[in-house]
Amino acid sequence: MSDSQDPREGARRFLPPGILVLVLLPLLLMPLAAIFIFALEGGPSKFVDALRSPDAQFALRFSLLIAFTTALVNCVLGTFAAYVISKYRFPGRQSLGIVVNLPVAIPTVVVGTSLLLLWGPIGLVGRWLAPLGIQPVFTPIGVLMAHVFVTFPYMFGVVKPMLDELEATYEEAAYTMGASRWQTFRHVLLPALRGGLFSGALLTFAHSLGEFGATVMVSGNLRLRTQTAPLYIFAQFEAGNIANANAVAAVLALLSFAIFFVLIRWSGGPGSMRQRKGR
Amino acid sequence: MSILLDRLTKRLGRVLVVDRVSVELKEGEMFVLLGRSGSGKTTVLRMIAGLVRPDSGRIVLHGQDVTHAAPQSRGTGFVFQNYSVFRHMSVAENVEFGLRIRGEKAPERRARREELLDLVSLSGLGDRYPNELSGGQQQRVALARALAYRPGVLLLDEPFGALDAGTRTQLRRALREIQRRVGVTTVLVTHDQDEAFELGDRIGVMDGGRLVEVGAPESLYRAPKTSFAAVFVGSGNVLVGPVTGGSLRIGTIGLPIPPSAPHEEGAPARVLVRPEQVILTKGDPEPGTLMLGKGVVIEQRFGGASQRVRLALPHPPGIRQLAPVPPFGEERLLMDAVLPSQVDVNAPEWSVSLRDWHVLQQAKPKLLAVHPPRGPVPSIAATARLAHRIDATVTLLGLAEEDLAASKLRDGLQDAVTKTGDSRLDVRVRTGDVAEQLALEQHEALYDLIIVARKARRGGIDATCEAVLESPRSPVLVVASEPERLDRVLIATAAGRPGETAVRRGGWMARRLGARVTLLHVLRPGREANRFVQAHLARATATLRAMDVESQVRVVAAATPARGILDEIATDQHDLVVLGHHAPARSLFARDDVPMQVLLSSRLPIVVIPAEEGA
Repeated sequence: MSDSQDPREGARRFLPPGILVLVLLPLLLMPLAAIFIFALEGGPSKFVDALRSPDAQFALRFSLLIAFTTALVNCVLGTFAAYVISKYRFPGRQSLGIVVNLPVAIPTVVVGTSLLLLWGPIGLVGRWLAPLGIQPVFTPIGVLMAHVFVTFPYMFGVVKPMLDELEATYEEAAYTMGASRWQTFRHVLLPALRGGLFSGALLTFAHSLGEFGATVMVSGNLRLRTQTAPLYIFAQFEAGNIANANAVAAVLALLSFAIFFVLIRWSGGPGSMRQRKGR
Repeated sequence: MSILLDRLTKRLGRVLVVDRVSVELKEGEMFVLLGRSGSGKTTVLRMIAGLVRPDSGRIVLHGQDVTHAAPQSRGTGFVFQNYSVFRHMSVAENVEFGLRIRGEKAPERRARREELLDLVSLSGLGDRYPNELSGGQQQRVALARALAYRPGVLLLDEPFGALDAGTRTQLRRALREIQRRVGVTTVLVTHDQDEAFELGDRIGVMDGGRLVEVGAPESLYRAPKTSFAAVFVGSGNVLVGPVTGGSLRIGTIGLPIPPSAPHEEGAPARVLVRPEQVILTKGDPEPGTLMLGKGVVIEQRFGGASQRVRLALPHPPGIRQLAPVPPFGEERLLMDAVLPSQVDVNAPEWSVSLRDWHVLQQAKPKLLAVHPPRGPVPSIAATARLAHRIDATVTLLGLAEEDLAASKLRDGLQDAVTKTGDSRLDVRVRTGDVAEQLALEQHEALYDLIIVARKARRGGIDATCEAVLESPRSPVLVVASEPERLDRVLIATAAGRPGETAVRRGGWMARRLGARVTLLHVLRPGREANRFVQAHLARATATLRAMDVESQVRVVAAATPARGILDEIATDQHDLVVLGHHAPARSLFARDDVPMQVLLSSRLPIVVIPAEEGA
């Protein structure tokens, strides 16, 4: 039975997507557009000037550095956690798996607060460290700690299912051939995880780049010292320098788009870069 | 010997997956472990490789005890069903992996790799990646990779399981040739008997974690020792019946029991008849052939050059069928046979005779311990001890009246069995009327001894006890409490055939127990033992001597036989009483009956031998 002649068929087919676009327009698409419109309002020269200011320069570079370091740290930590929880059988394994994922559920401001209460000058550990001249919070180290904490589940979440899915026989084959656990990890597991590591790192990087809640608590928002790009945007906005805020925001948005684009291409959309696994 | 497995045992949770597997492999041998999925064969293989840690037992590879060694240090080559070829490495890198781990230099690695790719007929494909290869080719890569570092032992886990039929045959032949050429001791695991026949120098048949039987393919097929191997390896007809006069009687024919498979009188013997050993003739067969009976074809399967037919015959009395498994509701005897395809099977009736047959080794005695829904139950620990002592297997039969109770009972019994850690015990639960289920169980399997408990106080014979004694098909052991010793057996005998049965079965138990026997004959007061009685006692003693059982004769006088037996028991020189019975089994527990009188007045464990045993 063909009803392609039915004029109502078109409406039926295009109504739901139309509604979706209408809903998303004010929620997602228009705000994104607004950033660029505002950023370029005063002309390109103003945009470049806003970016050239030392504070903006620092904030952007600092954010990129922190995001890169966070991705690196979590590449190791997250993979290690995934390996341990996927391959070892021990009591409390299940609960540890939940704990590792906890940062996704906790509001980032709470993460910041908790770090302050532990490492801060009056914190549980911090109060003993302060007399020794060690003070992790309000320093780049504190910012890194917060970012590692908040983005930890992303790497883990990508690598763990891959390890679970990879049949144990690959490792066992390596063992019988004489490879130690480390050699097996290095030569058999790690190459198989390459794709996951890359997308996990990109996810971590993107989240770290935009991290605000925990950073604002832990960094102390010190300009030219611990101020990340999102903090800079917020500070400039509050101070009324909307043009400065917008310029950096536009750069962040572009970076995010780029990462997002790579991720989609990588993880198997049309024209995926990843080699298809042969069966 | 290059591989020695010594009582290898592995439990996973509560399940005994590998149960005391022992075997020795010769250098260069191809050994096939054949069994259904879940029989524990793969676990054995993985234990040899060190991928699974055994709970107990030993693994020795080339004289070196590796039971607790890491897989890396064992020098085994393992080929998995799913190939497990590393996907991010080229074929060459895969083959060289083991050598690279061993730190061999590139030129040597390359030379060895070329040699192996040549061996598995993949020369020139070294630069390919696994996803560019077919399944068969990937498995060849896996084989080359496992052989590259010259392992002492090659282990293959269902290596052809994931391949299509054509590739499988081809690769099977290739494997056989490669294995011969390399001369590496090989263990291959499969569920496919054709594969086992084609590849194995020897085949080990596994069932329920046990290595049931080991032998060359031909001897396993022609002369298996166990019924499992007989049925699992190849197809065939297996019939069970009691041995009388040194042969197994099936209807009108008697199959003599060969000296190579000794059986005790009255013990069940199992005979295997392969389909090609069944002769079918229209009309009457030549005189002198062993004709089983006349039957009709109920099933026919075309198989190219030959056809398989299944015939249904009238069921000879006293015979049970193990294979082919009769469908529910079928009471005729089923026999499978092969015929050339051109033979027209459409005849109203066929004479079925046997060209040849093979008598299986006498099985371990089977005990049935009855656990009724109410009343006393035989102690599981004591049952296990008895089973251990007479080298028997035990079925704990839980009887329940409804489903909920049945599942609780099953869990309870299973728990208790697990606690004993004894693999001789298994559990069966039946739901429904106690007497009916007891009869059904005895109909379905032939037991050597049925154990039932009674109350400890005198006369404590309850309904279950009565139901078991009502019409037993096997000797019944009635126990009051845990028997402390079973070293002295009293056999009460009367002249005549039932007395003979009591002596045989009692002697059988005594021999298994390693006990001494006292033969008791009760006379009326004032009577003398006549020649008939004396001859009977002399023959009984001779029979026991032939069974390697030491015995002494006691002749006593008493008002009634029961009185005489009870008086003798009261001397406290006996641990177990064996009683036969003259009357047909039906009236066994009439109150004036000897066994019942003894049962009611004594607390010793008593074995009651049914009069018409096995018939």
